[in-house]
Amino acid sequence: MMRTTAVLAMQSLRRLRAVIVGIGLILAAFQFLLTQVAVFLQRSQAFGMLSSLVPEFIRSLAGPGMLAFMSFTGVVSLGYFHPIVLAALLGLTISIATEPAAEVETRFVDLTLARPVARTQLIARTVIVLVVSGAFVLGMMAAGTWTGLACCTPSNAPRPSPAIVRSLALNLAGVAWCWGGIALAIAVSARRRAVAGGWSGLAALAAYLVDYLGRVWDPARGVSRLSPFHYFEPMSVITGGRLSGTNVATLLAIGLVGAIASAIIFSRRDL
Amino acid sequence: MSVTAIRLDRLGKRYGRLPALRDVSLDVPVGDVFGFLGLNGAGKTTTIRILLDLVRPTTGRATVFDRDCQTQGLAVRAQLGYLPGEPGFYGDMAGEATLDLLGRLSAHRIDPAWRRTLLDRLEFAASDLRRPVREYSTGMKRKLGIVQAFQADAPLLVLDEPTEGLDPLMQEAFYELLGEVRRRGRTVFMSSHVVPEVERVCDRLALLREGRLALISTIEELRSLAGRRVRASFAADVDPPAAWPPDCEVISVAPRLWDMRVRGSIASFVSLVAARPLADLDVQTPRLEDVLRKYYAAQS
Repeated sequence: MMRTTAVLAMQSLRRLRAVIVGIGLILAAFQFLLTQVAVFLQRSQAFGMLSSLVPEFIRSLAGPGMLAFMSFTGVVSLGYFHPIVLAALLGLTISIATEPAAEVETRFVDLTLARPVARTQLIARTVIVLVVSGAFVLGMMAAGTWTGLACCTPSNAPRPSPAIVRSLALNLAGVAWCWGGIALAIAVSARRRAVAGGWSGLAALAAYLVDYLGRVWDPARGVSRLSPFHYFEPMSVITGGRLSGTNVATLLAIGLVGAIASAIIFSRRDL
Repeated sequence: MSVTAIRLDRLGKRYGRLPALRDVSLDVPVGDVFGFLGLNGAGKTTTIRILLDLVRPTTGRATVFDRDCQTQGLAVRAQLGYLPGEPGFYGDMAGEATLDLLGRLSAHRIDPAWRRTLLDRLEFAASDLRRPVREYSTGMKRKLGIVQAFQADAPLLVLDEPTEGLDPLMQEAFYELLGEVRRRGRTVFMSSHVVPEVERVCDRLALLREGRLALISTIEELRSLAGRRVRASFAADVDPPAAWPPDCEVISVAPRLWDMRVRGSIASFVSLVAARPLADLDVQTPRLEDVLRKYYAAQS
């Protein structure tokens, strides 16, 4: 059983390696460049100027996170919560998680499941690929940050501690895993990858907007708890707070429920 | 080991309100090449997908070598090789990588010499194997499908429309391959539209019509069921007998030509005409296609 799952996982990783490595390199380069932007702003003493340029009402609307962002640590850490980075990571996650739907669509699943391969092994394969690719991309991002800080940053710069970078990466990993589980649950019910990917993307966008609304508009705060992004709190880490274990556990639990539901749904459906 | 390779017991499948398969029961003996016939939508592929546990039956059960296809699916699928009607390969994978991957997922170790034999028989060049599957023609994809189904040398081969898309030469190579696996004692369960193909390679056949089993028979039984067409022409005018031998059906009778359909032995008819001034006797073996046409016609 384990050998078969490993064969399937290796096969998927081999097919996806260009995309995974490509996204990893781009995000690592982005992290590296952000450290250089932070160094530039630090050298030109622009952080103070930048924060004074922000109007008071925007500061009060955005909260203390706005000021935290306008710091050396904030700029260096930007890649761990920037919407574009989030979109790239979730795009990769969704494309991996929808592999079962693609195999049903292309009928490759007929060839694999005509052999002594359990349907749950296909789900386990996808979970392994999600974890490995997520770890690789986040590892590359952390490497980009570390390289930027290690090689080209003045020694007096207020570098973010490794614990902050680790917490931000872990938080981002939690969000990616959570959406991996959700997308997988959607994918195992679908017959077409585009449909599964489309619904997963729409769900992520809607959840992001619901969370955003909850952060800027009090009446929507309650509803925003339904969004997984509600449990993604990078700003509190940047402002010196600790990563909430409850939030990370919630994200991991959603992903796990999605993966378990996927295994059950996929095992019961007609292919 | 069981003498029955496949047993379908009152198998039924509905897709929503649409019945795809109704109360189908049949046995496929070990070592047989079994043809599974029917028009499009008759339920052939649904039956095959139930055997592979890709589709779950609504009623009844299917077993392979006495193992339930649903509850013991892994053990069942360790015993079979499958060629889908439309094999879905990854276009970006090379043919060789595809065979290697599917071989590693099989229960049996792939014998490289046997795989080489299969590739040679189907005239699959090594250079073609290294190309991505998206560059393959329909026929090449079908050949790749055949090799992946046969390479594990499984005791049971389940083939869905195996010669679809093959040119006549490759069809011939496939029939020879089928003959070889039969000699090796393998059981073959193949669906087909092509009656002459079934007539040529199969020992027995079943015909599905609108999800029901309309016919199950050996090829020989079916031929005898249809009867042979016998034309006797005479050198002079003859009178018909007062009573025709049993199993003789008169098609037309003229003074110098009797046109008959004879089921079973033609010995009694031959002695009847031998007593007359016989000029010529023409015996036509019935084509299975003619026999089956009436079963098909009922559906269409």
